[in-house]
Amino acid sequence: MSKHSALDTFGRSGNPAFRDHFEGTASNEDTRLSGVMTLEGAVNKTGILLALCFSSAAVTWALCFSSAAVTWNIPNTGLMIGGAIVGLILGLVTIFNPRQAAKLAPLYALAQGLFLGGITVIFESQYPGIAVQAIGLTFGTLASLLICYKTGLIKPTENFKLMLVSATSGIFLLYMVNIVMMTFGGGEGIGFIHSNGIMGIGFSLVVVAIAALNLVLDFDFIEQGAEQGIPKYMEWYGAFSLMVTLIWLYLEILRLLAKIRSN
Amino acid sequence: MTIPAITVDANTLIFGLLAVVSLGIFFNLGKFKASKSQTEREDRIDWSVRKYSFSTYFRGCLISGLGIFLIFSLLGYLGFN
Repeated sequence: MSKHSALDTFGRSGNPAFRDHFEGTASNEDTRLSGVMTLEGAVNKTGILLALCFSSAAVTWALCFSSAAVTWNIPNTGLMIGGAIVGLILGLVTIFNPRQAAKLAPLYALAQGLFLGGITVIFESQYPGIAVQAIGLTFGTLASLLICYKTGLIKPTENFKLMLVSATSGIFLLYMVNIVMMTFGGGEGIGFIHSNGIMGIGFSLVVVAIAALNLVLDFDFIEQGAEQGIPKYMEWYGAFSLMVTLIWLYLEILRLLAKIRSN
Repeated sequence: MTIPAITVDANTLIFGLLAVVSLGIFFNLGKFKASKSQTEREDRIDWSVRKYSFSTYFRGCLISGLGIFLIFSLLGYLGFN
């Protein structure tokens, strides 16, 4: 029997990333060896991951931009798709191996940067100026929600988490159905996901709002991790989860702006 | 030697400034503890336990996905394109 009644009632978290680190003897041993997680450490590591992501995105960007003629070349598809696939695999491995986050999260950021640089070039060549707008709005959302969280304006609860995780996985399910329809149905997939009308923009707004609210869960995870003194390597994991949300938010804002500007 | 003129349009200036200021806020505010109204409350998320079962999350996922699909499809059917 655990000393915590909640553990006996509900069991440990189903998320393998969390359950071994907030409670249990494994975390005590890790903490003794590596030290404890701090807010400053998690923020600094997020900075490192952002810098790595920007660096590799700049490589893809520079390969595509011809400054002499101010024209865009087609992004290197191998580099872009390769970055996306490697990033996805590294992301999945990191989720189930938080102890390896210090090694895997920087590689994830580098791989995703290659993909983001390419996708940004594609959008920028069609809608000049869209990249800086998407970057500004993504970081603007990050800062606004951090202020809301720190001041207690938004208070995440278990029900908030249930709703947000359900909505996020519901959107993931819709995207998967859409991909299957596009691949095997020979059609255009689910219409409102791609539409640039009111429905398409409305759907993108809903997705952007859900992606943004996921940041609040990341802030809460990091805040509680620092409060409870979980092992130091979880700083990398906290920074990694923040990066995953930021990348998703950036892509959705990019799509939303493209839909608005294509009208 | 001529120095090339650097031109920055209003779009880059406004959104670039927003990004820089926001990152500044994140790196400064992120290092401070949240307010007491956030940290000292009973209904905080407990990351060490799972309050709802996997099936509850699975049901939530199906309801959300189907709900979003039905709402947007219905609105599209009613002529909101």
